[in-house]
Amino acid sequence: MTSPSELRRDPVSGRWVIIAAGRSKRPDEYRTERRSWVRKPGPFLFCPFCSGHEAKTPPAIATVPVPGAGPGDSGWRVRVVPNKFPALTRGEAPIPHRRGLFESMEGIGVHEVLIESPDHEADLPDLPPDHVRGILSACQDRFRSIEAEPQYAYIQLFKNKGPEAGASLSHPHFQIVATPIIPKRVEEEINASELHLRQTGECLFCRTLGEELDAADRVVRANGHCAAIAPFASRFPFEMRIFPRRHSPYFSSASPEEIAALGDVLQTVLASLRSLLDDPPFNIILHQGPHPARARELWPDIDRISHWYIEIIPVLTRVAGFEWGTGFYINPVVPEDAAFFLRG
Amino acid sequence: MKKILIVEDEEDLCLLYQEELTDEGYDVTTVREAETALDLLRRERFDLIVTDIRMPGRDGVELITQIVGLRKDIPIVINTAYQSYKDDFMTWAADAYVVKSPSLTELKARIKELLSR
Repeated sequence: MTSPSELRRDPVSGRWVIIAAGRSKRPDEYRTERRSWVRKPGPFLFCPFCSGHEAKTPPAIATVPVPGAGPGDSGWRVRVVPNKFPALTRGEAPIPHRRGLFESMEGIGVHEVLIESPDHEADLPDLPPDHVRGILSACQDRFRSIEAEPQYAYIQLFKNKGPEAGASLSHPHFQIVATPIIPKRVEEEINASELHLRQTGECLFCRTLGEELDAADRVVRANGHCAAIAPFASRFPFEMRIFPRRHSPYFSSASPEEIAALGDVLQTVLASLRSLLDDPPFNIILHQGPHPARARELWPDIDRISHWYIEIIPVLTRVAGFEWGTGFYINPVVPEDAAFFLRG
Repeated sequence: MKKILIVEDEEDLCLLYQEELTDEGYDVTTVREAETALDLLRRERFDLIVTDIRMPGRDGVELITQIVGLRKDIPIVINTAYQSYKDDFMTWAADAYVVKSPSLTELKARIKELLSR
């Protein structure tokens, strides 16, 4: 068997890094690396996510069938498969090893791919709303299943679109990665929210959304259950966050109505982004609470201080020395202007 | 006898794979570049392909996507020194991903498993 990856913790920042096993590339190979970015599969090109190539993926863990499909019908609208060559592999809770300051553990985890459609060119804003609901509900189902395994402390849903955003394939897809540790960034957000709760008795995210809705100038799209805003201190041009109005730490607990509303907001803001910026590369990232059993050990009030939301980050600028060195970001677009343009 | 095509640009490794896999009872052909492999695949039938990724000219990821266009049913093993290509979903055209190691145990096991399907 190929040796598993390893998780290593930086003793200064406290951040964990997945170190892939195997030989590192030679420096010159990073200079010459090309991505296999395929816009359209031609007669000899291959896309493992396209309809008809199901045999090249691992067996599906979950599927959303085409409407009206019978029990024996193989037609699908959405497929979730385990990553064929995952960064992290399933296993029991890893035992941390410590040598002096240096802490590490076996790289166990979950790595799944959600194929949004059998159609290589289907873009999320153009799908029928019930198809988008199917995608989001399939994500929720996978989260519920992974949440039954407490060795996975945090579940991350994300989408990379475009090679600049880290995608290796243009066929639309999300990825789900579950890790045995709580990521540093998640800890930082929850700690900030916990402090706010102690000082004010309220959820920091609920309060932020309330103030944004009152001010209205950074609201991009809102409906009865969700609202997309250009955050007050956006790090990147046209960055957006979509919050559910109802306080809830976990995406899996969103109601069917909230999922439908999220789909509406997501489709609308992604269509705006595509039209305004000529189909830019972007990342979509879901933020939510860590596994309840693990989270309550660290934050007894986790249900009151964590609030799931979705972040959309267009990749239009580069993170450079100043940002890496200080954690400050220089955003050349005023968030109020970004919201104005995105509202159309 | 099962026929295996090895695509590997390093001559020493070609010799090693030829010897070791022949000892396992396979009929082994080795080529040093992707273009030669594609020419050969158009003329001959193989039961399995083992390919490196980083090679001069067309790389192994491009090669396997072309192979799937020619023959969907042929098992393919990626055999590379690097884990990082696992990030590239185009590698899913292959049936197995084996990181090169001084021992050929895993490579042999995956070949055996794929040929017995």
